[in-house]
Amino acid sequence: MNQKLVNILLIEDDEVDVMNVKRAFSKNKIMNPLFIAGNGVEALEMLKDKIIPLPKIIILDINMPKMNGIEFLKIVRENEKLKNISVFVMTTSNEDSDKIDAYNLNVAGYILKPLSFEKFVTSVATLKNFWQLCEM
Amino acid sequence: MEESEKKCQEELVALKKEFEEFIYIVSHDIKSPMRAISNITTWIEEDLGSVVNQDVLTNLGLLKNRVYRLENMMNALLELSRVDRTELEFYELNITKMIANCIDLFDRESNVDFHFKADIINENCVTLGVKMQKVIMSVLDNAVRFHHEENRKVFIDIVENDNDYEIKISDNGPGIPEQAIHKIFSIFYTVNSKDIVDTTGAGLAISCKIMKLVGGKIEYSPDVHSGSVFTIHWPKIITLKN
Repeated sequence: MNQKLVNILLIEDDEVDVMNVKRAFSKNKIMNPLFIAGNGVEALEMLKDKIIPLPKIIILDINMPKMNGIEFLKIVRENEKLKNISVFVMTTSNEDSDKIDAYNLNVAGYILKPLSFEKFVTSVATLKNFWQLCEM
Repeated sequence: MEESEKKCQEELVALKKEFEEFIYIVSHDIKSPMRAISNITTWIEEDLGSVVNQDVLTNLGLLKNRVYRLENMMNALLELSRVDRTELEFYELNITKMIANCIDLFDRESNVDFHFKADIINENCVTLGVKMQKVIMSVLDNAVRFHHEENRKVFIDIVENDNDYEIKISDNGPGIPEQAIHKIFSIFYTVNSKDIVDTTGAGLAISCKIMKLVGGKIEYSPDVHSGSVFTIHWPKIITLKN
């Protein structure tokens, strides 16, 4: 099990949700390097200026200030270097329009943030299985 | 006269837009802090470890339960407000089969004796299927949920009239106290404290709104032997406004 762990970028503006992801990661023993951006603009700067190593996976919130998740995703898909990153949307938005927009931009998954932390831990466990495929 | 009518229309459009925005705020912005309260409570529980005063654990449990109720209420409000905007597809369905499927869903998990009788010629009809199912599920859910005696029975009778399908759902449960009857279609109203039966109290309010939308009606009447009778008149032809 000495494989290289892929980098993950979390784009999320809510501090508690960031803590939530970190905690769910540690519960699931996910050791992948996790980088955090507070909104789409910040994330693009980090990616384009190579402030962080290129992630294979992005976890993306939709409702954020400055640049929301869908706007960010459009730019990523038009960028030669970034367009192949697997993006998981993780949001409270149950709006059909947001889901359609996200799938049209080729997302790997659409996760509704559940109320309970226990359920969230289970969702993250499912994601872990997918990420491990990316690491092979 | 025309001028004032035009003004009314404009005001209506503005109000609708304001309402839509309000719904969006409820569904996103209010849910985030709600989720945070729930999550942080769990973390506190975890971090407290195993040696904890039982009162503290009970209170944390109550805190989580109330946030859970709050979420259910928010979702119900959203659903109520969207009744006339979502799931408006007409499709052909077999009413007898649809009701039998609804019963199956309850049959598996509850200890209830269901009696289903259908007396209809045209089993297939083109209608707002999702809405129809929603109303039937809500009434069935009430019949099953608020019934705690032995020997529980629920009767479903469907009759075809000239203009509508008349679906009668009755039970041998406790019935609804007379002083509460006029309130049962109000949102969040529950006959008992929510600590006795943990329920949101939205199903009948949403059903009532659906029935208004389709131009039918839903009525309650006490059963002669105790128990409740809900009668749904589902119109064969539905004309939606707009």
